[in-house]
Amino acid sequence: MRTLLAAVGVTVLAAGTALAAADAIRVVSLVKDQRIFVSFTLESGVTEDLRAAIDSGLPTAISYDVELRREAAGWFDKTLQSVAVSAIVQYDNLTRRYRLTLTVDGLGEEPTITEDRETVRRWLTTFDRMPLFTTERLETNVEYYVRVRARSRPWITWFFWPWDRGSASGVAKFTLIR
Amino acid sequence: MAVAPQSRPLGVTRSPAAVPARSRRPFRDNPRLILASILLLAVAGVATLFFADRSSRLSPDFLTEFVLYALSVADLTLLVALGFVLARYIVKLLVERRRALPFARFRAKIVTLLLGMTLIPAVLVLFVGSELIRNSVERWFNAPMDEMLSSANQIAGDYYAERQRIVNDEAVRIARELAPLDLATPDLTAVRQVVDPKVAGQRVAMVEVYRVDPAGTPRPAVTLVVGAEAPGLGLGPSGYNRASADRLAERAAAGNVEPHPPEPVGTAGELIRGVAPVRGADGRVVGVVVASDHLTGGMAARSRRMTDAYEAYAQLRVLKRPLTGVYLSFFVMVTLMILVSSAWMGLYLAKRITRPVQALAAAAREIGAGHLDHRVERETADEFGSLVDAFNAMASELAGSRRKLEQSAVDLERKHAEVEARRRYIETILERIATGVVSVDADGRVTTVNSAASRLLGLDGRVAGEPAERVFSRSGLEPLLAVLENAGGSASDPSAHEIALARGDRELHLAAAATKLHGEGGQQEGTVLVFEDITPLIRAQKVAAWREVARRLAHEIKNPLTPIQLCAERLRRHFSGAPPATRGLVDECTGTIVGEVESLKALVDEFSQFARMPAPKRVPTDLHQLLTDALGLYNGLFQDVRITAEFGADLPAVRVDPGQIRRVIINLVDNAIEAMERRGAVSVGTSHDAPNQVVRITVADNGPGIPPSER
Repeated sequence: MRTLLAAVGVTVLAAGTALAAADAIRVVSLVKDQRIFVSFTLESGVTEDLRAAIDSGLPTAISYDVELRREAAGWFDKTLQSVAVSAIVQYDNLTRRYRLTLTVDGLGEEPTITEDRETVRRWLTTFDRMPLFTTERLETNVEYYVRVRARSRPWITWFFWPWDRGSASGVAKFTLIR
Repeated sequence: MAVAPQSRPLGVTRSPAAVPARSRRPFRDNPRLILASILLLAVAGVATLFFADRSSRLSPDFLTEFVLYALSVADLTLLVALGFVLARYIVKLLVERRRALPFARFRAKIVTLLLGMTLIPAVLVLFVGSELIRNSVERWFNAPMDEMLSSANQIAGDYYAERQRIVNDEAVRIARELAPLDLATPDLTAVRQVVDPKVAGQRVAMVEVYRVDPAGTPRPAVTLVVGAEAPGLGLGPSGYNRASADRLAERAAAGNVEPHPPEPVGTAGELIRGVAPVRGADGRVVGVVVASDHLTGGMAARSRRMTDAYEAYAQLRVLKRPLTGVYLSFFVMVTLMILVSSAWMGLYLAKRITRPVQALAAAAREIGAGHLDHRVERETADEFGSLVDAFNAMASELAGSRRKLEQSAVDLERKHAEVEARRRYIETILERIATGVVSVDADGRVTTVNSAASRLLGLDGRVAGEPAERVFSRSGLEPLLAVLENAGGSASDPSAHEIALARGDRELHLAAAATKLHGEGGQQEGTVLVFEDITPLIRAQKVAAWREVARRLAHEIKNPLTPIQLCAERLRRHFSGAPPATRGLVDECTGTIVGEVESLKALVDEFSQFARMPAPKRVPTDLHQLLTDALGLYNGLFQDVRITAEFGADLPAVRVDPGQIRRVIINLVDNAIEAMERRGAVSVGTSHDAPNQVVRITVADNGPGIPPSER
């Protein structure tokens, strides 16, 4: 079956509380070869709080919950597939190098060492064409959307409400056409 | 404490007659559960304090990740528990107050007081303690500490950076010097001539030269061709592993020039490595130089400690807020535990205090409602238990008194019934007897008048309540008033008076006696006037007197009659031989004497019959014939008297003594003629009263009648 380029995601901004004042994730989805590639960028980048956490040597992570969902009328939208992507960085103040790790659903690659802050920022906030989902079991001519929500760690927000983890989110809709 | 199930809300009262099986004891009445809860709470408190004491040894990340979550959950749970306890208490309080249950206000006061006594200090301590914690956390960070730790970290970092730069530069320099050389030749003398001076001159501690084989897959393969280390480096076989240098060479051969961290070599310190590719004339990478500088163990450790101290400090600063939250959560948790405990304890104590009182109040209401068999079950051995015992004893005494009272009431009712029966009996007697009875109360008012009194005195029941003086002041009753006023003081004092009252056209003779009634205290309670109609008695006495007179008169008259008659007959016999004229005269005179004697005898017989009436000899008699014969005797006797007979029709034969009836009729007619002074009319009539089966004979005249005194 020939698979066509299906849709271009539309970014929908959603407010968060901890990552930054205008936390939003720009999401772009691309369907190709029965796979759904997702690109997303945390618009606010690395905040000062996160920067301080990184510079203190704390293992700092931004975890993204990427979900393929379908709208349901009169009820909660249905999550069809989901992937947890975590970008982890740990800074060594002695050698002044960053150790970058990326895990997808808990599976990590070999860490990357860098001394460049911009590289760290991109590592934490920008993800390009990640093949996260497949189009199997998806129906044609049906609108789906990819939702990405981000959470930072460690918690450096207000102390009394630990569930306020400052999530940011973004959505990209697409219609599967075969 | 067991609760006997009852239909009432307060189920602590029970009836001794039926004590149901004990149900499961609620929590508040189970000392073991309460003790276990208190112990659990104490253990939780001790564990909290223990954990708080050791929290400084835990990593900040663990504290903020796990502990803060756990504490927040605990805080929220305690907050919900506190809210639940208070909300339940408030709802129950509202319901109880709406239902106006007893002691709702008292319980509210107790709980509010206990809560207030705990809440206000706890909140104050919470605020003060929170501020202390915040200030203490703020005091962790200050400018001198910042400066010192930053500077130390800067020094260590600069030192590492400088050593890294030097080793990098040396690696590049060696790589340039090796570029013209053939690394693939077996004779590596030239290579060693480049490398050995570097090592020998202590510019670097170790140099490894790799030859790159471009045919390697997927990466280019590297082969160590020369390895040299400074004399006396002393890394030893266990401290240094060349594999890391091999990986660096492979990555460099593949074009990856990313930086790499220092490599620890056991306790010997660290190796700072610099990697540089050896490029041939055509620019291809033909080899890799890995130059290493050695940091001694002490130097590396000190540098690492300085950095660790700085990082720990920086991490504390970053995690300042969540860490503050951890300690505040500890504090809030302890405060909430105290509040929940105090709230629950307040409710528990209030219930423990008010419940026995409520039970007593409910039992008092039950007893007040007449359920004297209700008892309050003793729950404790304290003063409340004694109070319950006293209450139950009081209830028992009340029940006993009530039983006695009920028995007395039964006896009283029986006596009352007896008195009532006696009263009805006396009343009936009073109503039925011929004796008149009039009672007068202490105020001189007539209270009762029996029917005989009403009949004799012509009074009716409406005189009851009127003053006796006014009642007996009526015409003809004045003598009774005198009797009443002269009433005797005791029942034994008869003080009976015979009085005569004029009742219409006849005279009524009464024997009247009045007796004053006295109460047990001697006070006068009224007077009872008793009188009896003795008119028939008076008349009988008169008849008896007359009968006696007649008997004696007849006797006295009859005694000389026989001698007179005998003398007259003797005279007739004596003069039977006398001359006819004499004999005729004697016969005439003696005949007259004998005749008169016979008349006198007849008269005496009449008197005798008056004195002693013979027994009647009743035979069926034609009453009209009898009356006709009797009235026939008067024909032509009285010129101015007209005797008429008015007989009724269909008069049946009656059983009477004809002789006595005949004498009765003659006497009545004679009396009538005499009463009319032999001038007037006498009517004799008969009638038949069939319903009463009576034949009535009426003798009437138009004379003056019988005076009342002679009736």
